[in-house]
Amino acid sequence: MASSSSLSERIDSVKNVKQITRAMEMVAAARLRRAEQRIEALRPYADALRRMTRRAVEGAQSLPDIPLLEEHDSIDRVGLLLVTGDRGLAGAFNSQIIRAGERRARELRGEGLEPRWYVIGAKGAASLGFRGYELDGTYSGFTDRPAYANAREVGQHIVSTYTEENVDRAEMFYNGYISPMSQIVRHETLLPLQQADFLGGDDDEEEDGDESDEGGEGTGGKGGEEGPDHSRALWIYEPEPGEILRQLAPDYVEISIYRAMLESTASEHGARMTAMRSASDNADEMIDDLTMQANRERQAAITQEIMEVVSGAEATTG
Amino acid sequence: MARNPFPVEVLTPEGNVFDGEVEMLSTRTGEGSLGVLANHAPLLAILEPTELRLHREGGEVETFAQAEGYLQVVDNSALVLVEEAHRPDDLDRSDLESRLDEARNSLEGSEEGSEERRGYERDVKRYEAFLEVADG
Repeated sequence: MASSSSLSERIDSVKNVKQITRAMEMVAAARLRRAEQRIEALRPYADALRRMTRRAVEGAQSLPDIPLLEEHDSIDRVGLLLVTGDRGLAGAFNSQIIRAGERRARELRGEGLEPRWYVIGAKGAASLGFRGYELDGTYSGFTDRPAYANAREVGQHIVSTYTEENVDRAEMFYNGYISPMSQIVRHETLLPLQQADFLGGDDDEEEDGDESDEGGEGTGGKGGEEGPDHSRALWIYEPEPGEILRQLAPDYVEISIYRAMLESTASEHGARMTAMRSASDNADEMIDDLTMQANRERQAAITQEIMEVVSGAEATTG
Repeated sequence: MARNPFPVEVLTPEGNVFDGEVEMLSTRTGEGSLGVLANHAPLLAILEPTELRLHREGGEVETFAQAEGYLQVVDNSALVLVEEAHRPDDLDRSDLESRLDEARNSLEGSEEGSEERRGYERDVKRYEAFLEVADG
């Protein structure tokens, strides 16, 4: 008898857990939808920024000195920016980023380079701090719903550590969002800005390499074969295109970080949703098993009682 | 006098805040105020934080408190790219004042020539401009 009542207690407690995991799953699903919308909302802005950069490059006679584009003479320290979340209970979401970062740090040390750590998200910061790493930058409290201002704060920090030569390269690790069920670890170089990415764009196949050689002749013979952009001279720039590029460069870093943050947030909600769904499913299974067991015990008890009654009756009549 | 309308889009990282036809767009660059009418020459400019005014057909004017950003005009359409753009009614005066104070304090404590300092300078300019719009 005692075991049957303890079974029903266990069933109740598993049911309670299931209610919580179901609720968390639903909250994560709602947040995931919002996070997906924000990724969509960013796209036109990011594309337009890219187009404007290309326009400024075409307007500039020669490339200005932009520190963010220049490689440092010697590479000694490499900044690793890990994008994690403020909370756990999301499957491998946080741990796979930390593992990827540590693997990269080992590689760098093997090449004689020193990794420096910059961590977004309280989970990543706590776990790397616990392992005894010294963190140069930690940023948390916003990973549920990052704002552009958060990306700007991180971006400014990374940009200044680069321009002050505290790091000679900056790399970023984050969970790229594929679908609610799947996230992959992405590894991107933030700084120095890839000339090809920043200046060239995705799909345009412009012959950037030869431009400086031809530039001398091109300006002499204006109106010649300038390609599709024969209206170059008619564009008005305010200020000079080189100045515009100089301002665009840090914005480009910020946008890259912001995009990574948004993808990471969507990934986190997706991972939590999936983790909570399987927790709920496990709870269901457990409830079924326990209920079956409880029924069996109850049935056995009833059978036992009937047998006692029957045997008692037989004893009196017989 | 009726003017020709032309399409204008205002984009922020959070999404599109305006997409429609206007007769005139007015904003501000480092050089000063800038008004754009239909058939403007191709233009690429850095914008300062200010009140963005979009004059619609029929005399109605839509205004936004606009952060710093970029303006591109090409093929008779304008694209405004800014970090933030708010309707004046959505601005919270006391919130802006405290942000401005915070930015000013941080600016004083920041290192000369650092990236942080440039950021705080940008914030101060932005919140000053937003407050002006809020006082409208």
